[in-house]
Amino acid sequence: MSNNEVSSSSVTHRLPTIQSGYNVLLRLPNGDIRGVKVDKDATITVGRLGSFFANELIGVPYGFTHEIVDKNLKIMPPRTLQEVEDTDATNELINDGESVQPLTIDEITALKQSGVHSSDIINKQIEAHANYSLKTEYSKEKYKKRKEAKYSKTFTTIEPTLFNVCDYWFNKDQTRIRDIRADTLSQILNLANVRPGGRYIAVDDASGLVICGILSRMGGEGRLITICDTDSPPAYPVMVQMNFDPKSVNGVLSSLNWATAQEDYTPVLPPSDVPAEDMKSERQKARLKKRKLVTDALASTREELFAGEFDGLIVASEYDPWPIVQKLTPYISGSASIVVQSPYGQILDDLQNKMRAVPSFLCPTVTEGWLRRYQVLPGRTHPTMMTSGTGGFLLHAIKVYDDPEASAVETHRSHRNKKAKMGQPQVVIEKESTLLDSEMAVE
Amino acid sequence: MWSTAPTIAAGDLVIVWLTRDLLQPLLITPGKDFNSRFGNYRHNDFIGVPYGSKVGAPTGKGFIHLLRPTPELWTMALPHRTQILYLADIAFITSQLNIRRGSRVIEAGTGSASFSHSVIRSVGSAGHLWSYEFHEARAAKARDEFTRHGMLDIVTLTHRNVCKDGFTVIDTADSLFLDIPAPWDAIEHAKKALRKDCITRICCFSPCMEQVLRTVSALNDAGFTDITMYETLLRPHDVSQIPPLPSIDDAADKLKRAEARREEKRLKQIAQGQRTKRKRDGDSVDPDELDLKRAKTDKVTEEISVQVDEIAQDLAAPNTNNRFSVSKVMSEVRGHTSYLTFACLLPDISLISAPRA
Repeated sequence: MSNNEVSSSSVTHRLPTIQSGYNVLLRLPNGDIRGVKVDKDATITVGRLGSFFANELIGVPYGFTHEIVDKNLKIMPPRTLQEVEDTDATNELINDGESVQPLTIDEITALKQSGVHSSDIINKQIEAHANYSLKTEYSKEKYKKRKEAKYSKTFTTIEPTLFNVCDYWFNKDQTRIRDIRADTLSQILNLANVRPGGRYIAVDDASGLVICGILSRMGGEGRLITICDTDSPPAYPVMVQMNFDPKSVNGVLSSLNWATAQEDYTPVLPPSDVPAEDMKSERQKARLKKRKLVTDALASTREELFAGEFDGLIVASEYDPWPIVQKLTPYISGSASIVVQSPYGQILDDLQNKMRAVPSFLCPTVTEGWLRRYQVLPGRTHPTMMTSGTGGFLLHAIKVYDDPEASAVETHRSHRNKKAKMGQPQVVIEKESTLLDSEMAVE
Repeated sequence: MWSTAPTIAAGDLVIVWLTRDLLQPLLITPGKDFNSRFGNYRHNDFIGVPYGSKVGAPTGKGFIHLLRPTPELWTMALPHRTQILYLADIAFITSQLNIRRGSRVIEAGTGSASFSHSVIRSVGSAGHLWSYEFHEARAAKARDEFTRHGMLDIVTLTHRNVCKDGFTVIDTADSLFLDIPAPWDAIEHAKKALRKDCITRICCFSPCMEQVLRTVSALNDAGFTDITMYETLLRPHDVSQIPPLPSIDDAADKLKRAEARREEKRLKQIAQGQRTKRKRDGDSVDPDELDLKRAKTDKVTEEISVQVDEIAQDLAAPNTNNRFSVSKVMSEVRGHTSYLTFACLLPDISLISAPRA
C-alpha cells in the first residue's frame, strides 16, 4: 500500500481515499453516474466532459466535486443549498413555444471551442434571453441549473459504500439486482444478523449485490459460503464497484455449486495425486500442485458446509426458493435466521404457505419495503414526483428445533390437540395458540 | 456480547418467544422459575438446551421457543423506556451512514437502546459507539443493560445533554445519529465530533416536518452537503390460501335456476289461486292478497339462493389442491415513524492539499 498512514490508522478495509486500480463512480452535472477505472498514469475520458489525468484522483478522499481544467482537476468548494427570494413574478406573461433564445447553437459551439468557462456561456445566454427577467426566482434557478448540467465540466466522486453501489445498480438496471433496493438490502442484512465474525450461507443470483452486502458488513472477519449454478463462481459485476481489499474477501468467501453442495455426490475431478516418478516437467508439477489446491479447497468447503451450524441463510435466487430452503436449512443452527428475497410477492406467498406447515420454521413472515424520498430545498420540500415502485419482497423466518411432544395451551382445532384430555377446563386463547403453532393467523 | 455457544448456559440472556407479538428477554438464573400463560417452567430445565428449541411445559400444556438474542429480536422484546426505532429505520440508517465493521459511531439520545444494540452488533469489537442520553434514569438503565449484555468494550455511555454540552470526542466519528427533539441545536457540536480526513455522515431522526425544515437549514448553515430526506416503512403482508374464485357463469346459472324456480312457484300459486277463486263463486282478486303472495314468493327465492350457495361451496371444498396463495398488506400498519434527514460532511480541503500519491 502506498499510503501507509491511512492503512495503519484505519481498521476499515477499504481506504477512505481513491487508490490506483479502483473503480470509481462519478456523478456528472446532469445527475448521470458513470463508473471509471483509475489506473496510475492513465488518462480518463468521461464523455462530453473530456479527459483528465488519473493521478489527479489518486490519494484524494471521496465526495469532492472536481472541475476539469486542461486535463488537471480543481477541487470545487462544497456547495450548500441557496435560499431563494420569493418575488411577485409568475408565468402569467410567459408563453410556451416562443423563441426566446437568440444565441444559436453555432454561436454556443464557437464559445465552447474558444475555451470560455461554462459560467460565462450561461451568463451570455441569460443576457440574450428575452423573458429571463419575467421568470420567478425558482424558475431562474432551475434554468441556471439546467444550463450548468449542460455546459459545466465538473463531476463528483461517490464513495463506494454499500448504499451508494446498490443505489447505482438499482438506477442503472434494477432487474439485474432482482429489484433489491437499498432499504431492502439493509433489511436483509439486519434480519439475517450479518456481523463481523458470523458464518453465513448465501445464494445470490442478483449480480453479487447480496454477497457484497454480506462481505461489506463482515469486514473481512467470518465465513461466507455461496452456492451458484455454474461450474465455478461467476465474476459478480457488483463487486467491481465495491473495491474490496482482496484480503477481506479471499479468507472469507468460498463457493460451491448445486452439484458439489450435494452430500451424496462425489465431484468428478482430474487426479491430483500423481506418483513423483511420473512427473515429467516442472510445468506439470506446478499444474498438479495447483490442481491439488483446488481439489483440497473444494473438499474442505464441502466438509464445512455439511458440518453445518451456520448463523444464517440468505437467498436471492431465480430458482424455486422452497427446495433451496429445504436443502440448506439443515446446515444452519437453531435460532438462525432465514431470509429469502424475491421481486414477486406471490413466490414468497407460496413459500410462506409451505414453510408454515413445517414446525422447524418459526413465524415465516412476508414483508415489503416502502421508501419515499423527498426533495429538500428551502421553501420547496415535497416527496419526489417520480419514485421507485418496488424494492422487492422479503420472507423472514427463524429456524427452530421442534418438540412434537409439546402441545399448545389450548387449540380450537381438535385434530391438532392430540394431547388434550377430556374434561380439561376450557381456557380459550384461540389466537395465541394458533400463533404458537408458528402459524400466521388466517382470519 | 451475547452467547454464541450452541446451547443455553446459566447467565445467558435468551429471548423467550411466546407469540409473534409477545417476546420476553430472560436471564437464565438457576433456581428461578419462569411463569407465563403458556406454562410454568424452571430455568434449570433450560440449561443445556440448544438455542432455538421449542420447550414444552412440564405439565404438558403449552410451550415456548427459546431464541438466541439478536438486535432484531431485542427490538421486539426490550423494555420500552421511550418510543423506539424499528427494523426498517434501523436498517436503512445503518446502510446510509455506512455503519459496518470498525465504524466509529455517535448516537444521541440512547433512549431504549434499540438502535444502539444494532449498531454495536454491526461495528463489532473493531468499532465503537459513543451513546449520549440526557435523561439520568434512562442513562443508568441503559448502562446496566450494556453491562449485562457484555458490550462495554464497544459502547461508551455518557449522561449528558449534547445540545448544551456537546460530545466527548473530537475529530473521531465516521457517522453520527441524532434522535433528539431539537437536532438543530446539536449540529455545530456534531461537526466537531466528526473526523475531517474523509467524508462523514449524519442522520437526524424527527417525526415532524417542521423539525426537518429547521434541521435542514442548520445542516446547510454548518456546511453539510448532499442533504437528502427519506421515509421508510416495512409493510407486513397477510398471506392466506383461498380456493379458486367462483366464475360469473356460476352466478348466472344460480340466478337462472332461482328464476326458473320462482316462475314455477308463481305458476303454482296462480293455479292454486284460480282454484281458490273458483271455490269463491268467481269474485275478483283482492289486490292486498296478491301483494302478500308476492312477498311470500320472494322469501322462497331467497331460501333457494342460499341453498344454491351452499351447494357451490360444498363442491369447491374438496379441491384443496386447487387452493392458491394470496396476500394483502395487513389491515392496520405503521404509517409513519420519522423523517430521516441525511447529510455529508466533506473532508477539510486544507488537510488533503498535501502532495498526491
